[in-house]
Amino acid sequence: MLHATTLIVSLILFSAVVISVLVARPVITATRGGKILAFVAMFCLPIFCGLLGVSKEMARSKSTTFCLSCHTMDEYGKSLYVDDPSHLPASHFQNHRVPADEACYSCHTNYAMFGGLRVKLYGLKHVAIYYLGTPPAPENIKLYGPYNNRECLHCHLGARSFEEGAVHNADPATMPAIKSNQLSCLSSGCHEIAHDLAHLKDAKFWKAGN
Amino acid sequence: MLRANSVEKRRQVAGICIVLGLVIEALCLIWSTPIAFVIFVAIGGLLMFVGIVLYLYSLVVHLEAPE
Repeated sequence: MLHATTLIVSLILFSAVVISVLVARPVITATRGGKILAFVAMFCLPIFCGLLGVSKEMARSKSTTFCLSCHTMDEYGKSLYVDDPSHLPASHFQNHRVPADEACYSCHTNYAMFGGLRVKLYGLKHVAIYYLGTPPAPENIKLYGPYNNRECLHCHLGARSFEEGAVHNADPATMPAIKSNQLSCLSSGCHEIAHDLAHLKDAKFWKAGN
Repeated sequence: MLRANSVEKRRQVAGICIVLGLVIEALCLIWSTPIAFVIFVAIGGLLMFVGIVLYLYSLVVHLEAPE
């Protein structure tokens, strides 16, 4: 990842140097070759560099370290290390049921059409609130809407542990209700413990992961 | 130094905008924080967009009225 950043930054700086030369000596663009060089340097290269940069920034904005770089998220980051298998985010993170380096994004993205773009816009809103507004206390942060089972089913649908799970099949109405999002995976008595900041100070933590 | 020729001057301004945008984008790629992402898109992207549009405009104007 660092190597890719170095390459992109090098290309950007190379483009900047070439454009600077053209700005300092516009006479270069008088010839046909100079015009082509100017077009490549001032149109093709900046667009190419911009696309590479956007792609890199988008990938970086999915990383767990990116999400946890805001202090408001510290407690949420700590909750990933709770030593309790019933603690949903912790068990997913520690057992790599989601990629550990994209843990937040994997569960909090939106797996619908343009969902990735929507969560990026939410992210920009969060940054604006963080720097320009009053960020809420960590325990007061709420989702924009009820957690949609679609996000869980993106991975679990078709998985044997889910499809053949005893509790999921105890009542014939349960599975269709889960799949149609009428019965939340996070319902009381199911997988209800998510982050649980209120009890974090009393929790036992997984040491190996730190 | 900016040239008196309006087409060249426009290209120089475009070049300066693009260089500034590129430098901002490079710094934001190195500085890995959420605010860097916003600066990358809002300031770096805007400067590059303005520079490229100005450069293309200078080409069109140059084609319409060759000097």
